[in-house]
Amino acid sequence: MNIHNYEKIWLMAAILLIVGFISTVTYGATAVGVDMISDDGGTVNASALDEDPRFSEPRVEQVGENEYEAYVIAQQFIFRPDPITVPANSTVTFFVTSPDVIHGFEIVGTNANAMVVPGQVTELTVEFNEPGEYGLLCHEYCGAGHHTMEGSVVVQPQDEFTQGGDE
Amino acid sequence: MGEEQVVREIGHDEYDPKGTLALIGVYFVILLVMWVFMYFVEFLGNELTVV
Repeated sequence: MNIHNYEKIWLMAAILLIVGFISTVTYGATAVGVDMISDDGGTVNASALDEDPRFSEPRVEQVGENEYEAYVIAQQFIFRPDPITVPANSTVTFFVTSPDVIHGFEIVGTNANAMVVPGQVTELTVEFNEPGEYGLLCHEYCGAGHHTMEGSVVVQPQDEFTQGGDE
Repeated sequence: MGEEQVVREIGHDEYDPKGTLALIGVYFVILLVMWVFMYFVEFLGNELTVV
């Protein structure tokens, strides 16, 4: 078979491109440590969240030095707790679930972006460095009030942080 | 009409569409730039990456 030189160049470049794409993603997953949203949170009884040990009281709780767990309920049309208050320079694992319909959980303008499914616990871990405030949005259409469904994540300086739940 | 056209036959390896090569080269470079920008700047540079 006689393949034109230009075609050989193109085939080679295309193969390198694919190899490049794959190694970029591999680099992100290994060296940078980018992870997937996981379902390790397991399942819950969506119609009895108030009896669930994790979700009866939506809250942020300290589980280690600079490690926190946030139990969040996304429901029509609010997030609980609101605001979700976390300290700066911390690693926070969010456990999010819904008692009614599918919601979205997006810390606006960041890569922390997940779906919230009734009966399932969405688990995602992020690191907060600087104090500040992020918006929190539902980005899955969840009913007539979907467009009003928002919350916030407040990152407080470590010395000002006090643990709290629903207020 | 009726005039004889000049026909030049060239072989497989003499056919060198340089313009096409250049155009595809430009597309390729755009692709590379967009890839680097999208992954390393927009994605990894975005705070609060899931870890």
